[in-house]
Amino acid sequence: MKRSLLLTLALPCAALAAERAGDFTERHDTIYNSLTIEKRGNIVEMRARARGTEALESAIDLTDPFKPIVHYIQSLYGALFIQPKPQRVLMVGLGGAGFHRLFSAAYPDALLHTIELDPKVLELCGVHMGFTPGPKTPVTIMDGRMFIKRNREQWDWLILDAYRGGFVPPHLKTEEFYRECAARLSDRGVFISNLHATTELYYSDLKTIQAVFPQVVLFETEGRGNVIACAVKYREPLIIDPTKWPTPEAVTQPVFAGRVDMKHVRGEHVRLPLNRMRAGQVLSDDFAPVEFLDALKANNADEQRKKK
Amino acid sequence: MTHLAFYVFVTTLGILSMGFQMLGSRLLSPHFGSSIDVWACLISTFLAAFSIGSMLGGWISNLPLEPRRRGQNIGAVAAVVTLTITALWGRAILGGIEEAFPPGGLGVLLSCVALFFVPVTALSTFAPQCVQWLAVRGTPPGKASGLVYGVSTLGNIAGVMLTTFVLISHFRVSTLLYLWLAVAVLCLAGLVRLLRAPQAS
Repeated sequence: MKRSLLLTLALPCAALAAERAGDFTERHDTIYNSLTIEKRGNIVEMRARARGTEALESAIDLTDPFKPIVHYIQSLYGALFIQPKPQRVLMVGLGGAGFHRLFSAAYPDALLHTIELDPKVLELCGVHMGFTPGPKTPVTIMDGRMFIKRNREQWDWLILDAYRGGFVPPHLKTEEFYRECAARLSDRGVFISNLHATTELYYSDLKTIQAVFPQVVLFETEGRGNVIACAVKYREPLIIDPTKWPTPEAVTQPVFAGRVDMKHVRGEHVRLPLNRMRAGQVLSDDFAPVEFLDALKANNADEQRKKK
Repeated sequence: MTHLAFYVFVTTLGILSMGFQMLGSRLLSPHFGSSIDVWACLISTFLAAFSIGSMLGGWISNLPLEPRRRGQNIGAVAAVVTLTITALWGRAILGGIEEAFPPGGLGVLLSCVALFFVPVTALSTFAPQCVQWLAVRGTPPGKASGLVYGVSTLGNIAGVMLTTFVLISHFRVSTLLYLWLAVAVLCLAGLVRLLRAPQAS
């Protein structure tokens, strides 16, 4: 355990030792992404250019590589209230490995297997973002759905965070894909998806997830437009009642200190927007107008709900 | 009027061909993902079909009357039958290929060839015959070729845009495959009839 912890701590430090001292901006046009790596002071950001904007994929604080700089990374840990002992985690989408650095430090004995489509993303993670694959953190370069279809293992957490330049490919948004994910979850496993709540796609996303998973819990990253959906394939015990959850203290790991506030994460819990979901559509392999729905901005109804 | 119908058919052929490529990408992605290798196989299959279809069509257009008519019939029937197979059993075929082959380019390429090569090849055989049709009606061959391929390419563009921005957003892929089949039947029936019409003196 100590060895794996040391290894986990050493990897980011070794990568960071190679980091350049001065600020810089690099642009990489890969086969799937147009990425910008920018270092300003102690922060290195990985951004994806798409649709005339740059979406922040991930960031690292060089003085504290475990600190989640991108806010929704903290919200992903809301899954601890549903499945507090993640020993086998499958993550679709590496990004800048913002989740990986802290998770590996918090759970050095857990397996965190990542599926990433773009090999350049993995390379850039090693050079700039303080993450290189290890025995407990393997990375497979493959389409996420192709991996999940062929994989026969069971996972405690299955995290879907496969944004490509600000949007998720349609075949990773369908009812059929979510069924394939559900089949790969352990009995008490949780499916975790990073959703954008700013477009009409959000309601169809939720409706599709709910069509497969009987229980869905949401954590809304404050003011950022991200909502983390945690879903399970069982009906009992109830997970939608927060009073039945473990306490924030019970799921807080020592390395979370000053980095992830589980009380705050618990406070991010919001209810399903059932009224708006009625107008959403269950997305399927046969009908998944993801790009179209993603282009439609959600109206202000939810802003008003938040203010209330 | 005849010329208007002619250009409508040529445009429709263009729409059918390239719109089908966008539908093809939606058919393939649940089985093989949407990585760059999938797109490479898909685009290559369509280009190969355009190439072979054009050469076959050029050969058919220079055949004597009866063999030429037979060639037109075979082309139209091949397009309709294979579009029917894709509409009815496309997903089942893709599922079978996905199961039978390990991840990688071979399964994708085989899928593209199995579902898209023959219908697009068959549709492409009609472009050179359209050039011939214009040429025998007095249009200089170079101009005829430019007109047919220019109009057909405009149809290609319309097919891509219409499918991507309108049809896929509002209809199921399975519904659209039946629509493709219905439009192909009407377009090919009309075009074959037109190509056989005696030249007005």
